[in-house]
Amino acid sequence: MAGPDGHVPDAAETEASLLARAQAGDVAAFERLSGAYADRLFMLLLRLLGDRAEAEDVAQEVMLRAWRGITRFRGQSSYFTWLYRIAVNEANRALERRARRPAAVSIGARGLELPAAPEEEPSRQAANSELRRALGQALAGLPPPLRTAIVLRDVEGLSTQEAAEIAGIGQAAFKSRLHQARLRVRAAVGDEALVSSGG
Amino acid sequence: MGMLGLTDDHEWSQRHLSHYIEGDLHPRARRRLDRHARGCVDCGRGIRAMRALVYAVQGLDGLTGIRAPVTIFDRVRLAGPGGPPSSQHA
Repeated sequence: MAGPDGHVPDAAETEASLLARAQAGDVAAFERLSGAYADRLFMLLLRLLGDRAEAEDVAQEVMLRAWRGITRFRGQSSYFTWLYRIAVNEANRALERRARRPAAVSIGARGLELPAAPEEEPSRQAANSELRRALGQALAGLPPPLRTAIVLRDVEGLSTQEAAEIAGIGQAAFKSRLHQARLRVRAAVGDEALVSSGG
Repeated sequence: MGMLGLTDDHEWSQRHLSHYIEGDLHPRARRRLDRHARGCVDCGRGIRAMRALVYAVQGLDGLTGIRAPVTIFDRVRLAGPGGPPSSQHA
């Protein structure tokens, strides 16, 4: 993503230099630094929240929190990991708020709104639409920590180490959550639907 | 191996199918699951189902190419220039 002024960082403008400037209070540098991950971060929020308007709201909050906390970023992880961790925490807070709202439409009731992949053949789209719906509902019905685990590892394709770091837990605990999540989704969707999908 | 052993193996295998496809099982445990799955239709299908699940989830949402909203930095801009307010908690 280009910066707010359409500027694309050149090779000389490294992440380290942008970080140093951002930590010194340069908003534009912060936007360029974080803007490089904005699209990916927004997709993560969509996957975790399943609601575009809420994802947009939380994305703004993530960036504000990152800006407020950037002087405390010491580079113990990558900037991407640090930013993603804030995003996961904020998404979980949003899900907790949603769960406390009695009149709210539960994500579990409608499932994640997951469009068919555009590159699929129409016949395959039709064959997989039911599986997509079932998977979306199963993922939406998971407790947030389990949903986060399966989204980070299986949907986002992050390594276990990176995903565990973002989730803020050890690798063994992360794997335990991931395995639990897969078992629950498998139970909810059913072996027949999965095996016949030809995956 | 008696029925009790088979039942134990079956329940244990069902609980560890995700570990199996992830490559997280110790070689001895992997051999145990392999040995059981060769004679167990449910667990053989369970392995295929778990692999299909991961494959399906990987390509699930079709969200590639989605752009972040242009408003994503609005609150940062509203917070104003002059440096990140380090006294506040992220």
